[in-house]
Amino acid sequence: MSLSTTVADNALISEEDALRADMYDFLASLLRKEPSDELIEKVSQLEGDDTPIGSACLTLAHLARTLDNGLIRNEYVEMFIGVGRGEILPFASYYLTGFLNDKPLANLRAEMSKIGIERTEGVKEPEDHIASLFDIMSGLIRGRFGKSFSIGEQAKFFNKHIEPWAGLLMRDIEAAKTVVFFAPVGTIGKAFLEIESAAFSMDGTG
Amino acid sequence: MEMKKREGAVEDRRDFLKRSAVTAAAAGAVAVAGKAATASEIEVPSSAGYRETEHVKAFYNSARF
Repeated sequence: MSLSTTVADNALISEEDALRADMYDFLASLLRKEPSDELIEKVSQLEGDDTPIGSACLTLAHLARTLDNGLIRNEYVEMFIGVGRGEILPFASYYLTGFLNDKPLANLRAEMSKIGIERTEGVKEPEDHIASLFDIMSGLIRGRFGKSFSIGEQAKFFNKHIEPWAGLLMRDIEAAKTVVFFAPVGTIGKAFLEIESAAFSMDGTG
Repeated sequence: MEMKKREGAVEDRRDFLKRSAVTAAAAGAVAVAGKAATASEIEVPSSAGYRETEHVKAFYNSARF
């Protein structure tokens, strides 16, 4: 991790917002790359209540406990990487225009430049990968990028770079041909995005 | 009047988040899983606020610093 600590890193955020950031981190870690043994172990300890997200967490934990870790990793590779390309391409540009590395990516890069952030060195995927976008949301909420981003500013980023397509991605993941482990990940993602969207629209501060 | 409306909106949003599926139960466990996560792939460049672009490099080259 780079030396990016600033005053805003220690900004106090509400419990609800900390939970939001945690959820973005959680989803990003599962969608970023093949799940490690360590991550699968942690996921197997998830608890949940009877809400849609809670029960999907319980399902996910059960799958983490019962599926072979190698099988889970194969499922990720087959779904997102494949041979040449995966069944699902989790990139904003692809979902919005049908092409990778198109205008939505350019827009995102411009936005990232304005915020003052960049992709960590050595990461090969373009910045509009869903895990990368969730990393950005988490950082905006936590104030990792040099200042606190208001709910209105978070909403602006979310509505421009995530909201138009990420729900569709989550539905595609749920319905993918060989999905088992990642189905509840899609369910959790879809439900969380809907909550985010609704919560942003409640904020009148702009 | 304006302030009251804004405060109301913040309360609504927080209450909604509390009542929604992002509850302590689910999310407390999520925090556990999240902390095991691989590091974020987004960072602030270590030369905070100033990034060496190609233009800058070219300038320094031409100025022979």
